[in-house]
Amino acid sequence: MEHNVTFLGYIPLLPLIGAAVLGFFHIGTCNRKPLNEKFYGLVACIGPLLAFVLALRVFLTLKGMPEEARYLSQKAFTWFQVGDLDITMGFLADPLSSLMLVFVTLIGSLIHIYSIGYMEGDKNIGKFFAYLNLFLGSMLILVLGDNPVVMFVGWEGVGLCSYLLISYYSEGTDNVLAGNKAFIVNRIGDLGFVLGMAFLFWAIGAGGFDYFSLKANAHSLTPGIALAVCLLLFVGATGKSAQIPLYVWLPDAMAGPTPVSALIHAATMVTAGVYMVARFSFLYAHVPVAGEIVAWVGIITALVAAIFGMFQDDIKKVLAYSTVSQLGYMFAGVGVAAYSAGIFHVFTHAFFKALLFLGAGAVIYAMHHEQNIWKMGGLKNKMPKTYITMVIGALALAGCPPFAGFFSKDEILYSALATGHVGIWAVGVLVAGMTAYYTFRMIFVVFHGEPRDQEAYDHCHEAPAVMTVPLIILAVGALLAGFLNLPAIFGGHQQVTHWLAPSLVEHHPHASLFVEILAIGASVAAFVIGIRIAYKRFAVGAEEPVFSGFSKFAYHKFYVDELYDGIFVQPYKKIGNAIRKTIEPSVTDAPVTLVSKLYMVIGTAFKVFQVGYVRVYAIYMIVGLSLMSLLLSQSLN
Amino acid sequence: MFADGLFILFTVIAVTGAAGLVLFKHPMNGAMSFIVTLIAMAGLYALLSAKLIFAIQLIVYAGAIMSLILFIIMFLNIQEEDLPVEEGRFKYLIGGAIIVAPIGLFLTRVIKSFPGAEKTITVEGFGGIKEVGLILFREWLLPFEIVSILLLVSLVGAVVLAGKRRMVK
Amino acid sequence: MIQSYLTVSILLFCIGIVGVISRRNVFTVFMSIELMLNAANLAFVTFSRLHETMDGHVLALIVMAVAAAEAALALAVVILLHKHKGQLDTNVFSLLKG
Repeated sequence: MEHNVTFLGYIPLLPLIGAAVLGFFHIGTCNRKPLNEKFYGLVACIGPLLAFVLALRVFLTLKGMPEEARYLSQKAFTWFQVGDLDITMGFLADPLSSLMLVFVTLIGSLIHIYSIGYMEGDKNIGKFFAYLNLFLGSMLILVLGDNPVVMFVGWEGVGLCSYLLISYYSEGTDNVLAGNKAFIVNRIGDLGFVLGMAFLFWAIGAGGFDYFSLKANAHSLTPGIALAVCLLLFVGATGKSAQIPLYVWLPDAMAGPTPVSALIHAATMVTAGVYMVARFSFLYAHVPVAGEIVAWVGIITALVAAIFGMFQDDIKKVLAYSTVSQLGYMFAGVGVAAYSAGIFHVFTHAFFKALLFLGAGAVIYAMHHEQNIWKMGGLKNKMPKTYITMVIGALALAGCPPFAGFFSKDEILYSALATGHVGIWAVGVLVAGMTAYYTFRMIFVVFHGEPRDQEAYDHCHEAPAVMTVPLIILAVGALLAGFLNLPAIFGGHQQVTHWLAPSLVEHHPHASLFVEILAIGASVAAFVIGIRIAYKRFAVGAEEPVFSGFSKFAYHKFYVDELYDGIFVQPYKKIGNAIRKTIEPSVTDAPVTLVSKLYMVIGTAFKVFQVGYVRVYAIYMIVGLSLMSLLLSQSLN
Repeated sequence: MFADGLFILFTVIAVTGAAGLVLFKHPMNGAMSFIVTLIAMAGLYALLSAKLIFAIQLIVYAGAIMSLILFIIMFLNIQEEDLPVEEGRFKYLIGGAIIVAPIGLFLTRVIKSFPGAEKTITVEGFGGIKEVGLILFREWLLPFEIVSILLLVSLVGAVVLAGKRRMVK
Repeated sequence: MIQSYLTVSILLFCIGIVGVISRRNVFTVFMSIELMLNAANLAFVTFSRLHETMDGHVLALIVMAVAAAEAALALAVVILLHKHKGQLDTNVFSLLKG
């Protein structure tokens, strides 16, 4: 079976070419009459759709291979070579990355199509689509890279694009600050990733730095180094995947256009951290302590974010905290060494979170960019398609059987219980109930009850087909994706887990039937209780609550932003200001000013000779010649 | 001996003419004196057996170029009061001579070290039109063509510069 | 013999330089430059005679052609300057003053 192929590189290249073409046209026409929006939309969709077709081809090719040797690779060119470090621009498609590829390109394409409708009338639509294509291309590099360095290229690429897109509405200072925050917080995580990579290279890099060599040499790591590498890489993951303590950027990232939020939350950016931990499963398998830390950080993030989500009044912020919370689940999953469960949750989450965001986008679009849920209400009659698809997404998110989220979340919780992490399991079940509560709080407030703002209600209307069709496709995905990994208890074969097995190092825990039923029962019970409380409180005629006590504390997100601001940002600014006022003028600026002043003095002095008469310049020349002649006459003797 | 006498005669005429060029106040006088220098130099070329150069010096230099210069001087119709006021002219000239003197002395010392070949009889046809022409069109063809382009460019340039009727302020 | 011709050449060249740097009349300056070219020509022809090759003659020819081109352009410039300022003093033109 031939493993070396040449078409892998085209998968990230196609969206990148699209980005270049769009950017070229946008810059070329920015001072003139802009091109037709439809043109930009169509060009933008070509790259992702072709990439999706290629991703399917990769998937099918892999499926035709024997299970133990399922991989495709392409070494495009040698990037650089320094000592032992030999980095090729190589791409690797194994079961893990092929699964990521398929859903990233699918959901990315759907979001591109949806954006044609959502961004209608925006004057910088060419720039928007160029960034969107660049975003997708970077994510595909991240997923396809066959060594950590190439992965880091994509890693930084998505960080950059998130910055560009979050601050896309650059007229508002808040949006730009949100973009800055995302970028800076991500940098902190990236530092962890770089350090982890450096450690890894220092320890075992001499034997080759692609994943195969690293996996083969992983056993020679000492436990201390392995733990350090794992934790540093996890710091990177917390930055990109919004875990405690670096989750603060993700809710602020809602400042960007809604399709961007969907792309960040569903397909591209935040899943990168989980993917990375799963990719390095061979390391985490070595050090169970690292896994414990990852799992606990994940589940605590899930809990905290769920608490925040229960009190938000911005429809997108609710969804943002739900993403943080679900990412917490994923890390809990990979932390307890159930990598396939974590990745499977990434996969299903991509469908229903993209669906929810795009649905929320349709609502915001219909309400003329109103995002406060307490200004909405009763929209189900006006927007039936959006309502139905969003309910499907909400059921999937809340973990209602048989929607996609149920199976993946249950898989994680079951794995936690089966590996003996009862604490994680208990918190997870609690969070599942809270998820159901806040999801349906949002659904009930937005779509049920009486309209709270009659005027906006009268003007709102169903979104156009270019927006609803992606919603319907995603709703089908949210409904059915879970069946791909049907566990044995429901008569399934866990296809996804088996598919991923060659890429991951995991041990499947075996627990009794009782444990399995307990896990499922607890999840379902949590869901039912959560949705029931939400129904009681919000189904009819709920008014905007006034928060006090703990709920006020939670409404203000535990004042974490203020805390970070006080501990890190303000002191940093103070130090910067102090340096600017003391050290800069006297130490760094003084020599530069001195040099410039020196030049000015010398220039003024020499200006005297510049009399402007050509004759005088000739005299200077002749005087010089004359002096040279005198000098040379001496040497002639 | 006869040649030496001629050499001294031509040298004296040439240097006197050159001195006249830099000393006369009015450019017309200077130009006349310069023509004398050019003719004397043609004589020096003839003493050096450069027949072609001798002819061209007379025809092109003393004839064409100098008549062009004279024509322009007369065309501009320069009166005494139009001339620049050069009160300290002789002071400047003496100062210039002092500055230039080291260069001349140095060059004189340099040529002293040359082999002083005393050649009065040259080979048959040295410096004739045919011989110079053969070298010019064989070994110096490219510079020759470049010079022709240069002449064309200067022709166009002169037309563009001087041919404008209305001057832009 | 060769030295004497070269000495004449040097003498004429130095007179040309003096003319260029100490006179202010445009025409005199221009003709002094021509004088320097002629002095160089004399040196070329002299060396040509010394080495009994005729390349010096060819160079002298080329110098003359260049002098003709220069004369055409320089005189055009002089006419232009005279039209602008109505004067022939080089000190009137001091655009290069710093």
